[in-house]
Amino acid sequence: MKVVISRTILFIIFVLALLAPESYLLAAGNLLIKNATILPVSGPPIPGGEVLIIDGIIKQIGKNLSAPAGARVIEASGKYLIPGIIDTHTHLALSGTNEGTDAITPEVRMADVINADDPAIFTALTGGVTMVHTMHGSANVIGGVNVVLKLKWGQPSEKLVVKEAFPTLKFALGENVKQSNRVLLPGRPQRYPATRMGANAIIRRELLRAKDYMTQWERYEKLKNSKNPPRNLLPPRKDLRLETLADLLRGKLYARTHAYVATEMVEFLRLAKEFGFKVAALEHAWEAYKITDELLAAGVGISVFIDSWAYKMEAAEGIAYNAAYCTRRGILVSINSDSSERVRRLFNEAGKAVKYGLTQDEALKMITINAARQLGVDHLVGSIEVGKQADLALFDQHPMSAYTRCEMTIIEGDVYFDRQQILKNREEAAARKGGN
Amino acid sequence: MKKRIGKLNLVSGSRKVFLLQAVAILLFMILSTSSPGAGEEVGPAYALVNCKIFPVSGPPVEKGTIIIRDGLIEALGYAEKIKIPEDAEIIEAGGLTAYPGLISAHTNLFLEIKQQEQPQTPDEFLSSFSQLSEPQEFPELQIFKELKPKKQTLESWHKIGVTTVVIAPGRGIFQGQSVVLNLNSDQPNQMVLKQPWALHINFTTERGIYPSSLMGTVAFIRQKFYDTLHYDLHKKKYLSSPVFLKRPEYDHFLEALIPFVVDKKPVVFQCNNQEDIKRALRLIEEFKLKGVLTGCNEAWRVADHLKGAGVPLLVTVDFRPATASIYSQQGEAVRKKAEAEVFPANAAHLQKENITFALTGFGLSESSFRKNIQAAIKAGLSPEAALKALTVEPARILGLERQLGTLEMGKIANLILTRGDLFDEKTKVIKVLVDGILFNYEEKGQ
Repeated sequence: MKVVISRTILFIIFVLALLAPESYLLAAGNLLIKNATILPVSGPPIPGGEVLIIDGIIKQIGKNLSAPAGARVIEASGKYLIPGIIDTHTHLALSGTNEGTDAITPEVRMADVINADDPAIFTALTGGVTMVHTMHGSANVIGGVNVVLKLKWGQPSEKLVVKEAFPTLKFALGENVKQSNRVLLPGRPQRYPATRMGANAIIRRELLRAKDYMTQWERYEKLKNSKNPPRNLLPPRKDLRLETLADLLRGKLYARTHAYVATEMVEFLRLAKEFGFKVAALEHAWEAYKITDELLAAGVGISVFIDSWAYKMEAAEGIAYNAAYCTRRGILVSINSDSSERVRRLFNEAGKAVKYGLTQDEALKMITINAARQLGVDHLVGSIEVGKQADLALFDQHPMSAYTRCEMTIIEGDVYFDRQQILKNREEAAARKGGN
Repeated sequence: MKKRIGKLNLVSGSRKVFLLQAVAILLFMILSTSSPGAGEEVGPAYALVNCKIFPVSGPPVEKGTIIIRDGLIEALGYAEKIKIPEDAEIIEAGGLTAYPGLISAHTNLFLEIKQQEQPQTPDEFLSSFSQLSEPQEFPELQIFKELKPKKQTLESWHKIGVTTVVIAPGRGIFQGQSVVLNLNSDQPNQMVLKQPWALHINFTTERGIYPSSLMGTVAFIRQKFYDTLHYDLHKKKYLSSPVFLKRPEYDHFLEALIPFVVDKKPVVFQCNNQEDIKRALRLIEEFKLKGVLTGCNEAWRVADHLKGAGVPLLVTVDFRPATASIYSQQGEAVRKKAEAEVFPANAAHLQKENITFALTGFGLSESSFRKNIQAAIKAGLSPEAALKALTVEPARILGLERQLGTLEMGKIANLILTRGDLFDEKTKVIKVLVDGILFNYEEKGQ
């Protein structure tokens, strides 16, 4: 027995030794944040609160918590702790945005072209952003399969991917896909579709093709599994374009649709109903305020800018009250950046909603729990609750204040951005340079 | 030669004397015409004496002899143990060191790369878009047919010790098929070791037509691979029983891919940054390909992925960071520093992680190739590992390990004689033998 025990101990030591390089991260995933004003989003603010994080998960929220040995203690008095900000519409950390040569390209996948070296990841971290939905561009009626990333700056690309999130397929409507703002090159014909009705028709055409494709495969499977399969039975050609659309029709993928005007949104919701596919959200949706009944009936939320309307014809009837009004009507609204620059001040964008009628709490929700719900990850992140992943951001003032600044960004208990540390490093580097 | 004489004797028994004379004349004619000309000496047998030998397959020999006959290594070893055949021409190699000829398993030698004409006027620029609608995909291209070997190029590669090269095509995503050559002459047929060797794929894009983005390129490659599997299945079914089966429509693109996707001949993926390596590994896994990765100057960053993969690596000593790399995105100073200090340590890191690899000069001139190998050694790569990465490793990856890569009896006589250590800056390559053909590069004044 003794031998067995000592062997077991030896084995455990051996395993621990193997894990040594990883153990740094395990330790880093243990944090105690003290004396912060916690804005959990899921409940009322907790002044002077503490959050204990073990192995990247929020273990306790309260007061007078004790940190286990080896855990880092962060003194946060006077500061505001919020859930990590989630941007539901970006194109960062990708090598390329559009496969713009064809109106229909659902075969392309953002997961194939993640670039973990994109400095925009760090830019976003400095604004308290911990998660992004990074998408195909809006050049095509049917773009590609998007991906949700955690902004673990410095980690390899595969560790950024959030597998639990909804798998989504980018659609786009309106001016971008009909290429109305493009100069035609000599010798190049205008790409189909050139109108909104064309965009609608091409989606229907492709989805009907996908249905046909599914029937072909069903017929093949049936024959293959029959008692006497035909001698020359040949499977249908595997078509990656139609495979993706078939997945949409099977309910394995959710549509995320770039749309501006009320008519095209309503038409798209009608298509979704006709073909029975799910829509996770409508992107930009400047005229959503005109069709709140339709959106509520379809149970579809919107992911929008706050107040930058009228930059193109189809945004002319956008209003800054869109997000606030839709929220009050009960629609799930998130604010997105759609930009590797604006992403670092998404909290400012949300904060503006207060001017247009929302409470600070409602405004904050648009970049945290609402965004998490739209991405299908609200059971993991989006609020400060025991059991959720410790994706957090620390601000020096209320995050919806115009004067606030992000001090620290934490993902799964690891500190990925620490303003004070960076300023210190910068000073030291400058001193070294001056010394020479 | 003996065999041939024997055969002649069998044909005619009585006129022996006459025949022998005829054979002698014939032999003389063969010998005098088979010389590839201009300064190169071809002899049936050489004895390299008094040289230090680095066989790579075993410990070095301080003072040894190498016998070469008919392009192959007949014998080698300690001077006192090797008997010099009477007919061998003796080459005094005192003070010289013999190494196996080096192999660069990815080059674009002997190719005339056409420069695309740059548009001069705005009108030309605009119309250039409409002219670019032809896809640049050539999976069936045999680069062997495009070779224009030049003696001067051959010699400049000899002078850095390279005797064997892979020449790969360089345009498009499906670029075509490479060839393995011995740098023994300027006659392509004589030079071939393996033709074709591998299909080469690059994660690049088309201009103005599909696929015009990296994401499109990945989808395009996957679709072509799936199409090849389907096309091949259809063909096989049709061959075995064509009754009540429509024949498959001929597709030259997919035809060209069958040997690689179905029959698993090597597929070489060009990997310009760490993400390319992961992309290639995913494709190799998805389609169970016999994959090889080339480029790979960021390989150290994905060592974890490479360790278990067992996919051969052709690592270039081109230290310039790719555009997508983090080292290229923080200004010129950081990029230059990375090129000088970070990327040269790639091979050393791989060695530390016990990942085997071959080194290539892909993307470099022959002088930078040599200089950068020295830089890689300075950055921590052991000279022994460097030598292996330029000899046995590439030979193994090319499937030529029984013919090339070490100095052993029966192997191809590809060897170089240097004055000084191979990786020393001042070292010069004095003599080169490729397929037993001797090239002299004596220092001036000797």
